[in-house]
Amino acid sequence: MAERYMLEARGLTRRYGGFAALNNVSFALEEGEIRGLIGSNGAGKSTCMDVLTGRGKNPMGLVMLDGEDISKLSERERRAKGLSRSFQKTSIFHDLTIREQIRLAARKAEADNSEEVISELSLSHIADRPASDVSYGDQRRVDLALALVGRPKLLLLDEPAAGLTVEESLAMARMLRGLSERWKLTVMLVEHDMEVIFAICDRLTVLHLGEVLTEGDPESVRSNPEVVRAYLGSSFA
Amino acid sequence: MSNISSTSVLSPSVPSNQGFGLYLVVGCIVAVLGFALPFMGLPKNLLSLLTSASISAILATSVGFLVRQAGLSSFGHAAFFGGAAYAVALLVNYTSLPSEVVILATPLLIMVLSGIISLILLRTNGIAFSMLSLAMAQAIYELVMKWRDLANGEDGLRIRFAREIFGVKLSFFQKADTMFLTTWTALVVMVVIVVLVSRSNFGTLTIAIKNNEERARFLGYRTLWPRIVVLMLSAFIAAVGGTLFSMYNGYVTPSLLHWTLSGEALIIAIIGGTRSVWAPAVGAFVFVILRDVAGNYTTHWQSIVGLVLIAVVLALPNGLGGALTSFANRLGGRKNG
Repeated sequence: MAERYMLEARGLTRRYGGFAALNNVSFALEEGEIRGLIGSNGAGKSTCMDVLTGRGKNPMGLVMLDGEDISKLSERERRAKGLSRSFQKTSIFHDLTIREQIRLAARKAEADNSEEVISELSLSHIADRPASDVSYGDQRRVDLALALVGRPKLLLLDEPAAGLTVEESLAMARMLRGLSERWKLTVMLVEHDMEVIFAICDRLTVLHLGEVLTEGDPESVRSNPEVVRAYLGSSFA
Repeated sequence: MSNISSTSVLSPSVPSNQGFGLYLVVGCIVAVLGFALPFMGLPKNLLSLLTSASISAILATSVGFLVRQAGLSSFGHAAFFGGAAYAVALLVNYTSLPSEVVILATPLLIMVLSGIISLILLRTNGIAFSMLSLAMAQAIYELVMKWRDLANGEDGLRIRFAREIFGVKLSFFQKADTMFLTTWTALVVMVVIVVLVSRSNFGTLTIAIKNNEERARFLGYRTLWPRIVVLMLSAFIAAVGGTLFSMYNGYVTPSLLHWTLSGEALIIAIIGGTRSVWAPAVGAFVFVILRDVAGNYTTHWQSIVGLVLIAVVLALPNGLGGALTSFANRLGGRKNG
């Protein structure tokens, strides 16, 4: 019997004219795993996230969520199946208070864990303020909170630590690790901050020019000469 | 750290729950005072002005609601306002339907038609939406101008209402002192409707869609239908204004469909501000009275209105409504949220 994964991607491809931003990319995530998706700019990481979530047109390949083929579903339908994401650029609702928007997300997810999420992400003290009035770091946590409401099966995070201080990044990494363990949350994480990646990821997939360069646990990836040459540089080796 | 806080009159925000009770009390007092006005012995020309202002306020409320909830600036609301007025005229004059049925059904008819049109209009956003709405209204304007057999072109139509409507004489609706009660009641009801909608879960969703449609979709929400409903409700409110106009004047002309009326409604909404659902109505009363006063001194009253508009945009970025809100908050010792 074939092993059942929380996320299985097979042959993901996206072309823009003659250029393949993503070319035959395959990987699989087990339940509760935190997977880092790394690579240099233009490697295809965000495109991979977009294809997984159904954003954009005409992707090729198969996306299986918890054993179910969701390749043909819209982003809205994939969310209903338990696939949630955050965005590279903070994507929140600036005119709503933090509580209003998290409740809005909870209503659709039909799971009222909005107060739990507010508490987990330490947003209680600013929950009734409009999102436009809080700091960038808080806005990033609101972005994450919107993705976490309803306890999704799979969480895709596109550079959640972008723009955060080292301290804030590591705090977010610790929080994610804790949530993943307690909620059995499967996470796929695109991140340039290697401190965050190595702090919380169980496995890494390295993309290079739209293809999978290698995959493995953080230590083996860190010591892979090809990865060092293509992405990490000698300081992380 | 970046604070992303827009203060433009055309990028409104949701008011906080704090102080809603105060707004409710003030709103009730204003509503009651309005009902008392015809009994205060005011001159008839002033009551006539206030009746016109109430109808303008209904149109401005509809435009402001669309800006606030959907972020859409319509240059075509004359189509809903004038369309309703013409629908009343044509249905009363050319069909055997009772006037009461026509008056009650017309706003609903316009709302349904706006739902169909919105399937095209709402494929766009921003300037494209504004231009499409303008084109739609101008197309209807040209149709009325050119189809003389039906709508009598630029000469317009006198509406042959029954002598009694809703059990009262037609003159009740065509005299300022009595019609004001009707237009004021309609305005109060329309403002209450938009307040309730904007404070509902649906209102929160539409603000979210306006802020970030893609994120709303990724939360699992359909984003087109809520926008359609907002436009339909906005069109309904504009059509109520147009219907009242047709009752009050008993006459319709193509100017009711012209883009300048849509522009005027948008200017009124900007003067009033769109952060609060009641503010465009305040803008309408200020605008109509200002226009009348300025018109007594010069035929170039538009210049004065233009100067006021510039002054409001520069000095009161949230419009008169925003200024009133700030003043009320200062009185209450709270920071403007």
